[in-house]
Parts: sequence; structure tokens; C-alpha cells
Amino acid sequence: MQKSKKIVILGHFGVGKTSLIRRFVKDSFSDNYKVTIGVHITKKVVELSPDESISLIIWDLEGTDDIRMIRESYLLGTHGVVFVFDVSRPSTFQNINEDLQIVTSKTKETPVMVVGNKVDLIILSELQSLLEENNIQANFLTSAKTGDSVNGMFTQLASLLNDQA
Amino acid sequence: MTKLEQYKEQYANQNIQFIVIGFDGTIVESDQTFLKLNKGDYIYDVHPFFVSYVSVLESSEETITYNCVHLDYLQKQYITDVKMIKKDNHILLLIYDFTDHYLSYQKLAQARNESIINSELVVLKNIELEERERFKNAFIRNFSHELRNPLTSIISITSVIEGTDLTGEQKQMVHFLKESNANLKLLLDDIMSISLIASGKLQLRDKVFSLFGLLQLIEFTYKTKAAQKSIDFVLNYDKKVPEFVEGDRLRLFQVLTNLCDNAFKYSKEGAVTLNVKLNQKRANKVNLRFSVSDTGIGIPQEKVDAIFESFTQLDDFGKKQGSGLGLSIVKGLLELMDAKIRVESIYGKGSEFYFDVTLKFPLDLASRPISKYTFKSSGSSKKIDERKYKLLMVEDDEQIQTVLFKALMDTNLFYIDLVNDGAMVFEQVANNTYDIILMDVDLPNVPGDHLTQLIRDFPFKNIKNIPIIGITANAFEENINDYLNKGMNAVVTKPFELTELVETVLKLLKK
Repeated sequence: MQKSKKIVILGHFGVGKTSLIRRFVKDSFSDNYKVTIGVHITKKVVELSPDESISLIIWDLEGTDDIRMIRESYLLGTHGVVFVFDVSRPSTFQNINEDLQIVTSKTKETPVMVVGNKVDLIILSELQSLLEENNIQANFLTSAKTGDSVNGMFTQLASLLNDQA
Repeated sequence: MTKLEQYKEQYANQNIQFIVIGFDGTIVESDQTFLKLNKGDYIYDVHPFFVSYVSVLESSEETITYNCVHLDYLQKQYITDVKMIKKDNHILLLIYDFTDHYLSYQKLAQARNESIINSELVVLKNIELEERERFKNAFIRNFSHELRNPLTSIISITSVIEGTDLTGEQKQMVHFLKESNANLKLLLDDIMSISLIASGKLQLRDKVFSLFGLLQLIEFTYKTKAAQKSIDFVLNYDKKVPEFVEGDRLRLFQVLTNLCDNAFKYSKEGAVTLNVKLNQKRANKVNLRFSVSDTGIGIPQEKVDAIFESFTQLDDFGKKQGSGLGLSIVKGLLELMDAKIRVESIYGKGSEFYFDVTLKFPLDLASRPISKYTFKSSGSSKKIDERKYKLLMVEDDEQIQTVLFKALMDTNLFYIDLVNDGAMVFEQVANNTYDIILMDVDLPNVPGDHLTQLIRDFPFKNIKNIPIIGITANAFEENINDYLNKGMNAVVTKPFELTELVETVLKLLKK
């Protein structure tokens, strides 16, 4: 079996988790919002170098406004977490630091990537001030719509997980 | 097998698939309920979800259940619950196909989430609109404030020049200059009115007033204007209309003059007519119809709605006049009065703007005879008595200092001291005796309204009771009320006519 790592994508509903995965896996985007229920699992092989690749098993979890409600079984065997918020909807990041604490308590030592998505909907200066005002330390600011930083985010996570192996 | 056992097998098992795999993921045995699996294949090659069988091996739990797992298989999507049960040397997988159940849940979740997101977006949109509105109003305030200072200088200097010996040509130029100043002042006032209406800060102040007095003032004003334009102005009012009503006289005046101005603007010949008719009188309320008709260019049908929007003007043969705010102000003010402006127009022949408004009708004044309105001549700057008054002028703008100084000295009524810094006022007042103070509000170091409060708190009557006239470019009603509450006796807003200021000074000194 090829070396594979399980990553789970978490966050409130409507933040664009499925769109990020679709952009990364199929390089496509749709404006139509379709709610994810339960979990969708996708595989993508990431080439880290000409002679090294890693298979990411990406678990796209149903969004929830209460992160404590995530089913424990979905998190079993997780190697990496991507926590996504929507930069244009404050309700998705107002309690982000508490949400991250809950995630960390459930996933123990697993690395967590914090991602602000939908940056195409907000101007850069507003984005910087909202991050500062809410004390958010985002690892990546992405747009599934334009593709900004999406590959970079997944590739960096893949690389990190590969190094940990 | 009994019938019942046959049915159970047929229906109960059709949605459950049993799979046995080895600890290395090899398929040992499986039924073919919906996933067509081959013995010896690896389960994790069937779907990436099955990589998670490893978790069972790592877990201390014997059974792990995954709910609502989407399994895409041979171009069909199953939504399943999966149980993984660790046995002695293999793992049993039970896959329950609950696709129909989960799809109905998906519809509910879709509706719920969309509704929540839409509500959030509406709230955010409203916040954004409010912020824009606040920014716009702040901008208008600053813009108005900054323009009022230089405009005061221009108006005042024009008045001073007008009082000097001028040739006929120079007099005509000064006349044009005064007209331009007046237009600019009107424009500023219009912008401020629309800002107040839009922000919901404009409040009507209902008082009993003489409607006939108001109408005759309008008649006088527009008959004069009509004579200059060679058109007629006609006022018709129903004799049953009560002389006294209760309402906001200023705002009704503003509505009617905006409508009349508009009618004049687009009429080159014929007549502008103001009609006032009684619709209904009940108890202490009266409903009146006001209409202003003209013989102007009329309004094309497709533009009728647009004319009530801010900054909209009809293209009068390529010429545009005014700010385009007049009808928007009319609409906003009438909405505050629970009335609605309407228009009937024939393009090329003229328009009629009309509205019905309900005003209170004070019963105790109902039988008063119709009074004859007389226009009082504006006060002159005659001496009140033989002595001169001591006036302190607190103003930091040199241009305004100059024109005020000249205007006041020309009356030959005042000795004037000048202070241009708020910090120096208190000492000046304490060491001198003044009859009146002209106080600019925006002063360096200590603002004029604050100085007024300090003066009013002074223990000696001769100081604390000095009349103070505030001069300010903050022309919003709330500002003016604030200054009056802080102890100013009157407030004159920039830009002002010198005669207006001198009249205010004299009025206070008479008291």
C-alpha cells in the first residue's frame, strides 16, 4: 500500500470545505452550495518530489456551528487537520480559538492548519484587520473560487505529514 | 425456508452487506448486496474510506461505527453506516445502505443551513449599509462645515463691497455674486436636509401656526420672482381651509417652496399655481390637498419615478439647474408627515405635483378671523440709545474677523475687543466688562461652547449673564441645540448675511 495520510477538513457549515477539496482534487469550482452531510472521502496523490509522493485521504466532514458535535469516529487515525473559516462571515471565526482548543483536545498531537477561505470576497486591508481584531493566526488565506493558495496549503500539509512519517 | 424467512431474507438483508477482511485488508469473504467485491482484492482499493480499517486494529474498542459515510461505487452513490468489528483473526464489516434516509436529512440540512447563512448575510449587508450611511453623513458634515467658513467670508465681503461706491457695472457684478452666493448656500442647506432625512435624524416640530401667513409669504416671494421671469404666480385657497393649523411650519414651507422653485425652474411662460384645498375636517384634524402646477416642459412618463431620487434632473434643453435634491427632499419630508408626493404630467405641457396632508386643527383658534399678514421690514442698524456697547469678538479666522469688524463698526454702536484663541477668552472676560460676546465655536485650544459653559458657571452675575451669540459652521440642528443648551443665547450659522448677524446682536441687546 502506498504511503497514505488521513486528513480531516473541519469548520462551520458553508465555509467552503468541499469547494477547497474540489479545487485541489479536480481543479474545479461551483457557486452552488450543496450541504455536506456525514463525510465524503477522497484520495489525492501529491507529488512531493520527482521520486516521492504521498497519498492524502481527505475526509470532508459535515460542517457544524458546534465543533463539539463532530462524531469521534471520524477523527480516528487522523494525521492532519485543516480547520476552515469563512473570512466574509464572522460567525465562522468569532470563537475560532475555543473551537481550535476543542479540535486539539480531540486530535491530540495532530498538526492543525488554520485556513481562512473566500478571500476573494473581502479586500486585503479589511482582512488583515479582522484577523488582528479576532486574534486569528491563519496559516493560509485561500479562495476555492480563484484557486488562490489552495494547492499550496494542501501540498504544505502533505509535506509536513511526510516529514513526520 | 418458511415464507416469513424468505421475506426477511428478501427485504431485511437487501440493504446490508457483510464483508470479512484480513488484518492486511484482503477481502476474505463478501456477499454482493451492493458492492461487487472479489475475494483476494484489497478493501482499501475499493474506496479510500476503507483505509480506516486500520483504526480498528489500533483501537482498544472491538467495534467502531462510522455513520453517514458516502461511498461512491461504480458511478452510484451510497450513503451508509459502516460497522467494523474486530474478531480473532479478521475484521467483519457491516455496511448499511441508508441512502434514502440520509438524502431526506440532506434536504432538511440544506434548507436549514441556507436559511442561517442568508440571515447572516442580510445582517452583514445591513451593517455594511449602516456603515456606509454613517460614512456618508460624516462626509456631508465635514464637507458642509469646511465649505461654510469660506462661504461666510465670501458673503460677508460681498456685503461690504456692496456698501461702497460702485459703478453701475460693478453693482451688476456684485448682484450676480450675491445670487451665486445665495445659490451655493441653498445647495449646502439642501445637502444637509437630505442627509438628515436619510439618516432619520430629522424630527418634525409641530406647533400652531398661521397657514394663511405662510401662504401669503409664499405668494409674496413668488409673485416677485414671477415678475422677474415674466410669468404669473397664482395662489388659490379654499375659504374653508382653517387659518391656524398645527404642524411643522418650517418643513411645510420647505416642501412648498421646493415645489414652487421646481415649477419656476422648468417654466418659461404661462403660470405657476399653488392650490390649497380642504379635503376633510374632522374633530381637531384637517386634511388638506396642496398642489403646485406649472406650464413647463412636463415629464416623460418613463422618468416620473426617477425625479424623486437624489441628484436627478430633467434635461431642460441641455441645461441643468440646481442640485437635483429638491424633489427628493420634498418626498422625504412628506414621508415624515405621513404624506406622499404625487405627480401628473403631460410631456411638453406641464406638471402638477400634489399631496394630501393631515394637520391638527386647534379648536380654540378655529373662529379667529383671517388675519392680514404684514411683512415686517428687516431691522435696521439704528442706535438703540446713545451709549455704545462693549462687544467681545472671539474669532480666529482673519477674513471673518475683518468683515465682522467692519460691519459692526459701521453701525457706530460698538467698542470691539478681539480675541482669536479660546484660551485667552476667560481672562479677557474677567478683566473687562462686556455687553455682548460673539463667540466662534471652533476655536483653537478651548472651543466656544465649552467657554460658554465656563462663563455661565462664573460666580459673578455681570459676567455669567453676558449675552453670547455663537457663530458656527456646524449647521445641524442637534449642534445648534447643544450650543443653546450650553448657555448660548443665540446661534448664527455660517454662512450668514452681515445684516442677519447685526440684527441678532441688536435683538439681544434690546432685551
